[in-house]
Amino acid sequence: MGESLSEMLLAPHPSPDAAAWAAAQRDARAVLADVAVRRAGAGRFRVTEHDVRLAYGPEAGSSSVVEPFAWTARTARRSLGVAAVRSLAEARTRTPLDAVRQRLEQASAWVRDGAAGTSRLDHWLAGLPPGAVAAVGAEAVTWATRLWCALDWAAFSEAPVIGRDHWWDSPHSALLALRGRAEVRVDGAHLVVLTGPRRESVRAELALVALVEALRAPAAAPCRVVGWWPESGHVVRMEPEPAVLVLAARAVATVLTVPGPGIRRAA
Amino acid sequence: MLLVAPPGPCRQAPAGDRATGDAGGGRELLARLRGDTRARPRFDPGLAGGLRAWLEDAAYEATRGMPHGAPVLLGPRRLLGSDAEGQGGGTMGTPVDRLLHQVVHAAFRQLVQTGAGDVPLRDALDALVAAGDRSVAEEVASLEDAERGALADALRRHVRALTALLPSFAPAWFPRTDEYVAIPLAGGRVVLHGVFDLLVGLPRPGSASLCALGLAMGDRARQRRSLHFLALLETLRGGAPPFRLALLEPATGLYGVEDVREEHLRAMAGHVAAWLAGLGDVEGG
Repeated sequence: MGESLSEMLLAPHPSPDAAAWAAAQRDARAVLADVAVRRAGAGRFRVTEHDVRLAYGPEAGSSSVVEPFAWTARTARRSLGVAAVRSLAEARTRTPLDAVRQRLEQASAWVRDGAAGTSRLDHWLAGLPPGAVAAVGAEAVTWATRLWCALDWAAFSEAPVIGRDHWWDSPHSALLALRGRAEVRVDGAHLVVLTGPRRESVRAELALVALVEALRAPAAAPCRVVGWWPESGHVVRMEPEPAVLVLAARAVATVLTVPGPGIRRAA
Repeated sequence: MLLVAPPGPCRQAPAGDRATGDAGGGRELLARLRGDTRARPRFDPGLAGGLRAWLEDAAYEATRGMPHGAPVLLGPRRLLGSDAEGQGGGTMGTPVDRLLHQVVHAAFRQLVQTGAGDVPLRDALDALVAAGDRSVAEEVASLEDAERGALADALRRHVRALTALLPSFAPAWFPRTDEYVAIPLAGGRVVLHGVFDLLVGLPRPGSASLCALGLAMGDRARQRRSLHFLALLETLRGGAPPFRLALLEPATGLYGVEDVREEHLRAMAGHVAAWLAGLGDVEGG
């Protein structure tokens, strides 16, 4: 067997030339400033890896209508799954099944008690009949089991950050924000769980994670991004190179210039 | 794989005991799944690489002259045929037969996740709606009362049989349902895919550590081969197949358990390669 996912996250990576990295950061900021200014007045835009995927996908530029978001077992599985994996990593529960059950029970309790910070997902979960709760739980258990079993958690000397999205807000326009999504973050590396087919856009999707990190903390050490498809076991690894930032900045510009369903407009 | 009936009348254990995993319904199946841990099959560590190389070659040859476009998706139904095809007819049976398959599957997931509910049809339809599929609920709603009653009765019988057959897996066995596997070949131009109804065990890269359980709702032989296909996919994904397979037939209450052997995987890989060669012949004119 080749290198495990944990080894990929923990392995030291070559540091890019500091001057080249700084120049790539400047270039990326310039590109983003340009698109932010050009889009001024066009409304607020949040660019995510999903938007990058759509912008580079076969339907880019089409005017097809995007299905409105709705909670389903499938759309809820990541939220529940990362909560379950977090619970496992913190040793609050011992198995994915227990962790998901606990999270589902929490949702009901929070809604019942009117707890502050109760999410829309919690309200949706609390209103489901038993058969539906079982289906939602089953989907989340499968998702959480894959991620939990894919990593050697004891190998991390510091507790990984699980399921936290990072945002970068453009200083040139309050209307533009970028999201970097990663399921597991360790010092110097981020693991992204991928779904769907292997696609050409995946490197740009992962580059966006690296770009958000570089923009949020310009002085921090560059990071590696590992994309992993649980369905096939395939892995894509993006080393911290200046070209990654250029790729991501171009991807954001593409998202913001390609018309169609790819851009998420905030209400 | 020889399907057998559970010995004696299967008794459902009290709810409190079912979490232990070795009491009441499904005890026999659980014992067969566990088996003798020392006698579990072992696999050549190079097997997965060899099978992948074989299939990559076949996929490359099959798609060499094809224009780039949507990938060839090859799942068990396309590879092994469906029951309707096997019976030589183009029908899927009565509406109740067709719907039964889907609601039994939903009920099976609930059984693994939380245990059986009080009203299986209502629970199954709620589960399907939560999964984003309203079509089954709408179709059931449109049935005549007698048909809907027949569906509910049939599902209840199936759930009763499954409750008797299926052990209540302890959470530490990591039971998970509907695990999707998709293996791209030839740079993604061919994708082998399938769904495990139920997997138990902790995956350990390169070692056979899982048991796979499948629901048999049609041709038994084909369902068994479908499990072999899934075992092949797991081999390509994780480096080793599940070490044991179980087929549960809720209509009859029978089940079968077998070890996965290298010859199963080689035979299935050969079948896939032959299917791809046929595809290449068709595409090549």
